[in-house]
This record gives sequence, C-alpha cells and structure tokens, in this order.
Amino acid sequence: MTLRRAALGLTLCGLVACAGVLGLTHSGSRAFPHRAHVVAGVSCTRCHAQVDDGTPALHLPGDASCTTCHQKPHDTRSCLGCHVAPGAIAELTEARDHLIFDHRRHLDGAANGNCMRCHTGVADGDDHMRPAMATCFRCHDGEASRNARTCDACHRDLADQASLPATHLAHDGDWMREHGTRAASSGDLCESCHKAAFCAGCHGRTVPALPAARRFADPFAASVHRAGFVARHSLEARSEPGVCASCHAPERCASCHAARGIAGDQHASPHPRGWIGLTAAENQHGREARRDPAACASCHGGAGESLCVTCHAVGGVGGNPHPPGWSSRQSLGSMPCRMCHPTGATGARTGGSR
Amino acid sequence: MKLALPVLGLLAHAAGADPLRLRADALATTASPAGLLVLDASGAAEPGLSAEAVVWVAGGQALDDRAHGDVLVIAIDAHSRDGARAARLGRFVAMLGALRPVHIDGGALRLRLPQRFDVAVAAGVPVLPGLTTRRSWDWVAGGRVARRLGDWGSAGIAYEQRRDDGQLVTEEVGLDAGAAIDRRNDVGARLAYDLANPGLAELGLTASHRGTHVRTELYLLHRAASHLLPATSLFSVIGDVASERAGAVITWTAAPRLDLTADAGARRVDMDLGAELVARARLKLDDRGASAVTAELRRSGVGADAWTGARGAGRIALGHALAASTELELVRPDEPRGRGTLWPWALAAISWDHGPWQAAVAVEASASPEYRSRVDALCQLGRRWGAP
Repeated sequence: MTLRRAALGLTLCGLVACAGVLGLTHSGSRAFPHRAHVVAGVSCTRCHAQVDDGTPALHLPGDASCTTCHQKPHDTRSCLGCHVAPGAIAELTEARDHLIFDHRRHLDGAANGNCMRCHTGVADGDDHMRPAMATCFRCHDGEASRNARTCDACHRDLADQASLPATHLAHDGDWMREHGTRAASSGDLCESCHKAAFCAGCHGRTVPALPAARRFADPFAASVHRAGFVARHSLEARSEPGVCASCHAPERCASCHAARGIAGDQHASPHPRGWIGLTAAENQHGREARRDPAACASCHGGAGESLCVTCHAVGGVGGNPHPPGWSSRQSLGSMPCRMCHPTGATGARTGGSR
Repeated sequence: MKLALPVLGLLAHAAGADPLRLRADALATTASPAGLLVLDASGAAEPGLSAEAVVWVAGGQALDDRAHGDVLVIAIDAHSRDGARAARLGRFVAMLGALRPVHIDGGALRLRLPQRFDVAVAAGVPVLPGLTTRRSWDWVAGGRVARRLGDWGSAGIAYEQRRDDGQLVTEEVGLDAGAAIDRRNDVGARLAYDLANPGLAELGLTASHRGTHVRTELYLLHRAASHLLPATSLFSVIGDVASERAGAVITWTAAPRLDLTADAGARRVDMDLGAELVARARLKLDDRGASAVTAELRRSGVGADAWTGARGAGRIALGHALAASTELELVRPDEPRGRGTLWPWALAAISWDHGPWQAAVAVEASASPEYRSRVDALCQLGRRWGAP
C-alpha cells in the first residue's frame, strides 16, 4: 500500500512538474481577458490605438497603455510577457506577413468602427485574434474566390507560410499517406499554394535528392525516406509491393544497386537456395514473382526478361506463367506477348487464358 | 530544353515586375562522395503569367549513375483573371485525378465549364533522367472531367494512355471523389483501373472525423504491382496479387503542446497478414514548435519482412538563428538473415537560419545490411534572393 501511495504521489508530482511543459498551465503567458475589458466598457482602440494607422505593425498595446488603468503588480517584465494566449503573437505575426489586409479600410468601411464584427470571439474569450476565413466570406465573395483559386487576392506567399490551412483543407493526420487520395479530387486546390516544383520534388523522375534529404537538419520534415530508410527499404518495399513504382521507374532499384556495388553482373545472385528448381518446392521464384513483379522487373526488366523466356516460352519447361482467368487486351504480336508467343500461338498449357 | 530560353526570358522580365525569386542550395556529403547544387527560380511577369525553374548539378555518383545534372521543373503558367482557364507548358508533374502523377515535357490545360464542370487535359513526352536525346518516340496523353458538387465536394473521371515507340505502355481510367460532409467529417476516394491488362491497379479510401482535440481517420489502400508496371514488361502478365492495408489513425491533442498519435491497422500481401502499429508522441517545447521532441514506436511489415522500430528526435532552438537537432532510429528485423540483428541510425545536426542564409552541418552514423558501421558528414548551404 505504501509503495502504491508513493507511486501515486510520484506520478502526481511528475504531472504537476510537466504541466507547464505540456502547456496545461502557464506560469508565464495566459489568454488576455478581453471579455472583462469589453464588459468594463473599455473600447478596443483605447488599447489598440494605432490599429488604423495603415502600418504593418501588430497593433499590440505596450505597457504604457496598460498602466494608464493598472499598476504593474508583479515584476519588471512586460505585460504581454504573461497576459497573452500561447501562440497568439506568433499567429498575428503570420497574419501580418502573409495576409494582404488593411485595418483602416475595414474600420472605415463595412465594419463601421465595430472591431467585433470580424473579431467575433473576442468577447467570449477566444484566444485567436485572427478571424476565421469564413468570417471574411460573410462580406467577400468566397465562392467566386474559391472557384477561381484566386487566393493571392488576400494571401501573400502562401507557399512560404508556416501555418497550415485550418478552415478549408487541413493537413493533419498522416498527410503523407492521405495526400494522394485528397489531391486526386482537389489537385487544383493544392496548386493554389504549392508550385509545380513542390510535387516534382518527390514525384519527378529527375529528383536529385528528396526534400527531406536536403533538409536533414529538420527531424520533423515529413518523408517516407526519413532516417534509416536505406537500411529498411527492402523490408518496406516487399511489404507493400508496387509502392516504389508510385514515384520510381522499375529500373531505379537496379541502377542504384549497381552504382553502390550491391548487385550487378559482377556479383553473386541475391536469390536464396531453392529459387529455381525442377519441383514446386524448389521454385520459390514463381510465388515471389507473382507477389512482387515490380521487384523482378527492377533487375530483370528490358533485356533481362529473356532470362524468363528461356523456360516460360510456349512449349518451354517452365509452363504457363499466367494465373487462371488472366486476360489481356494486348495482341500476341506486341510486347511482351511476342517474347513467349513468337508464332502467335496461345499455347495455354496450365490453365491460363487470353 | 528549347523551352529554357523563353522561361529564362520570362524570369528576366519578371525581375522588373514582380520580385524574381532565386534560391540556391548546396549539399555535400561524404557518403559517395556527393555534392549537389540546386537552383530554384520563380517569378511573375504580370498577374496570371508566371514561370518557375529548378535545375541541379551534382558531383559524385550517389544520386544517379547516369545523371550529373538535370532539370526538375521548367514551366510557364498562365491563367485567366477569374481562374476559369489555366495552362502550363514545360517540364512538370502532370496530375489527372486518381491516376499516378507523371513527369512530362509537355503541356496541360484546365477549363472551368458551365454547370460546375471542370475539364483538364495533359499531354507530352515522359521525362527520362539525364538530359538524354537518345529516346524512342514515346508520349503520354490524358484528361479528366470533374464536376463540383456545391462547395462541399467533387467527383471526376480520368483517362490516360501512354505509348513507347508505338507500344502501349499504360492505359488507365481513374475515378476520384471527395466530400466535406460537414465541418467535422470528410471522405475521399480514388480508384485506378488498368485497361491494358484489365484489373484494379490502385484503390484508396479515407474518411476522417475532426473533433475538438481528437481526429480519427479510417483508411484503406489496395495496390496491385502487376498493374503498375508498364504493360510492355513481361512481369505485368504473371499475376494479380495485391497488397492491401487498412486501419485507423487517432490523433489526440492531449495538451496544448502535446500530440499523441496511434495508428492501428493490418497489411496483407498474398497470403501473409501483418500488423501495422504506430504510437507517436510529439511535445512542443515552445508555442511555435521551434523546439520540440518526438518519440515513436512502430511495428510494420508482413511475413519475413516484418520489423520493429523505435525513433526519437529533438530540435532545440539555441537562439534566434541557431538550432541543434538530433535523431535516432533503431530497427530490428524479425529475420536478420545475416544482415545484422539491429540497424541503428543516428544524426546530430546544427543549423543556422538567418535572413536569406541557411546553413547546416551534421554527422550521420549507421549500421545497416550494407555496412557494419558507417559515419558520414553532411553540409548544406542555402541562399535566397528576392521575397520572401
């Protein structure tokens, strides 16, 4: 029982100690009590005095603004060192740098001096000063902009913005896996932020080094080829046959292995014992080829295919390599059919069909 | 490459209109040894007309045994003011809905039609590495018709055919759909069907629910390697064994700075079934995440190719411009087969990002099936000109 209490106490102490790190408690910053100020009748521009000066400042009040009403009770640190929501200043900085926006035009125009027409959550204690994009679309024609993908009418340098979109397309979850399915129906939406080089950086046939390899100092850069991928790539490739072909040409494996001296004409066969034999038990290669034909094609593609044909040609000892029910629209005279069917013969010996 | 001159001309003209952006990145490693210089330029001559180019030169033999320099992208983009018409010309990756992206030298056109229909076409010559002129007459062409469904979704159908020296290499049809059911739920689907050797080539389904602190995603992937190979390959005719993967991912913002992720799923290849399990935690050490640590446990693979791994990484901002990062990964294959029982990989780096300059140095150490032990040094230097 004593041990259990000690463990419980230790856990609680650990949680309390970690609370600050986790952002659960803030010995420093906390959300600014906007609501209390609104209820007290303090106007927005009394603190954010220069909001309509047309400058690209953040329009955050300085200590002098606070001390017109408050005495500084704590210490010598700036008021904004504590009385601001975590991340709020960073969020505002992003907005200033990447939004084309003029407070003055809005205050004089549609907002008619009412800040809360856009900053809707302020009176309810919302920490996020940057309004949601849906707020903009209450006045601006959102559908036309979205259809025309004219994001640059309001957004500046979207591709270089650190924050990801929160309203119309969230890049959360396992985006590396999801993005293909999402982009299939929204490719033009992707292009509103990403340039052609972004897609080509991974999917291009002439990629010199993947973006993650060039950003080796950023351990959070997303990539399927991160960290010790070189060591484990054979396991990953065999566990998901064909996945490499999503970006790489089949011969990519052979060219890289040959360049690194791992395989090639001067090296012993990488295949284990029992790869090719006269009995079914000694013929692993058939099952493996059916399971991962891309792996075979990576070394034996092109001229190397003649190795298969010596046994699997019509009438050869290797028999019919087609599975039952297999069909093709290719003519027998075209590649690769003519390799095994040189005379146009169907030659189905073991159940395959065309 | 004839396109290079007008693109460079447009970029030069852009310098007088919109800021011309240039970026140069140099990467050097002792791994091969290899050196790489990447030049990235983009600019807009006027609203609706822009160009971009990424070219690289490399030393050493690590990158590709044939290429020591190449063009990744060199393209001119034009679109009408309302976005209803857009065109791209040059070298780029063409994407047609559910079909696999293809890197081409060619052109693409996109039109918005009445009744919320969209039409996109792309055609060109598939890119081969190495700036080779010794290529057979090959081409790829395709198109996609889609219809937007209100402002909440779209559905499309795409077709693509590729021929190499007259021979049919790829003929595929793709279906795609995406819908935001409401603010919290959305679904996406894509399907690619091989017409040359009839069969399902790829299928992807995803559905997600986004709560206040928890996001849940269900996914299903199906891929048949024989249908992804060129139809001219002998290996495209030997079967239709697919690999499949399905599971669920839960991402929980457990605390303002702490994200926890769990991925539980299964893989199947032929008759082999394997578990796909990932548990990951990421803790931001400041509000912006400039400093953060992450830890991850993973179980992956099927049959004899299954493995268990752990990864930890951290980045600490040392000051306004300086950061230190480290990364460690341990992989234990289920069946070592003489390749070593544990494959560790580690990297320690210091990076500097100040104004237009970026620099980083790192030491990488690893043991793998290829090397009992290996230590490499990496160095990167980047410079930006123009905004941002």
